[in-house]
Amino acid sequence: MWFKAWRESRGRFFAIALTLSALCASAVLLESYIRQDQMLISLRTREGSFTEYIYNLIYAGSAKGVYALLVMFLGLGGLQRERAQHTAGFTLALPVSRLRVIGTQIVVGTIQLAVLALIPAILIPSLSVLTHHSYPLPVALHFSALWFFGGLIIFAASFLLSVLTPGEYTAPVICYLALVLDTFVGAWHPLAVYRLNLMWIMGEFKTMRWNAEHSLLQPPPLSWPRISVMVFLAALLLSAAIRVTDEQDF
Amino acid sequence: MMLFYKAWLESRTRFLLGLLALTGLSAVFVFFNNDVRTIVTEHEVGYVEYIWKGIFKGHLRDVYVVVTLLMGLGGLDRERSYGTAACTLALPVSRWRLIAARGITGMIETAVLAFLPASMVPALSPFIGESYPWSLALQFGTLWTIGGILIFTIGFLASVIFVGEYSAAIAALVILFGYTMTTDLPGMEHHIIDVHDVMNGSGPHDATTLAAILLTAAVTIWSAGYITSRKDY
Repeated sequence: MWFKAWRESRGRFFAIALTLSALCASAVLLESYIRQDQMLISLRTREGSFTEYIYNLIYAGSAKGVYALLVMFLGLGGLQRERAQHTAGFTLALPVSRLRVIGTQIVVGTIQLAVLALIPAILIPSLSVLTHHSYPLPVALHFSALWFFGGLIIFAASFLLSVLTPGEYTAPVICYLALVLDTFVGAWHPLAVYRLNLMWIMGEFKTMRWNAEHSLLQPPPLSWPRISVMVFLAALLLSAAIRVTDEQDF
Repeated sequence: MMLFYKAWLESRTRFLLGLLALTGLSAVFVFFNNDVRTIVTEHEVGYVEYIWKGIFKGHLRDVYVVVTLLMGLGGLDRERSYGTAACTLALPVSRWRLIAARGITGMIETAVLAFLPASMVPALSPFIGESYPWSLALQFGTLWTIGGILIFTIGFLASVIFVGEYSAAIAALVILFGYTMTTDLPGMEHHIIDVHDVMNGSGPHDATTLAAILLTAAVTIWSAGYITSRKDY
């Protein structure tokens, strides 16, 4: 079952991993080229310190958006997809419960998500040394944790949608629109204090602080109550997906 | 005509979801402009500039780009994995006609989505005591249509080249992102047209540029047709 789940998702996983790796590597290795005057980047990204540059480009910038967008595709799958491809019958004929079929896909997807979230934490601090810069590993791991838990909600939502909707591309379209809606609702003034905007949480929007020497832009400590809520929400969405699959007629 | 109907049936869910999202968000941008304004910009801006930053350049354009890209996906390779490609290929029409029907349907849908915010903003603005010039909105509608057609063809070509499930969608998004990054590199404006700048009106949008974009889109569709006509299903 594990091998089956891996075989079904490995193409998407490698494509996302490759994209993220390319983004992180080029951000660090081409830093001097990217920060030259002619580039169409914000003044803060161009003139700030190295940590500020990495934060603006990777953790609060394009890489975060690409990660959120592509993780949606990692969650797509399930028996509904197999039904469309006429392979659901074979999978259901295996001497295992539906819970195990779906559960395996969820666990494999979660592990892949964790690996993807760790890519910037591995590449940025290690490649920074090559360019005579340094990026603190604890800060990189802090964002990996946020990307993992934020990505988990997106993964769970797309997984549930792929179970609920029959069309192949309907689930990613709805999931993307839901993400956009969350951005707007979360940024709406009366609700902004609750920080419901997933992209804000993943990028520590407006919560980053300078250290005493004004040399390092660092995030606040991880908010475990918030992370618990995120995990609970993801678990709720995945439980719903399992329940729906259990009751579906293939 | 039935081929167009087939293409419509295959893409209508994505199209209608995009329609619903663009309609809803356009209305939100206009009716709740005081609240949304703080999300769109940190500075005090006038209504016309706010609409440009929020809709024609910013958030809503991003939604349009992603929806358009995903609308380009589908085709015979997807049908092959569903086991319906043989039925489609058994129809007494050439593969070129199948591709053309899917391409034209997608382009019409792309144009409809492009003109949706362009017609809603000037129509709804008087209800909140503001005004937005029709001529300006329709100009953006035209620019969105032309840029959207090119983005649609990226998804279209990816769906012909990449066979695996969802591979085409991921590849199309990565190609689009790579293109966006490349156009922002110094000096690239002399070599590649930045379709995003064309769509938001900040880049060149003269007749030659627009014709070049449409020509590129036509070549992309033709390439997709050529690849499809040579493939063994």
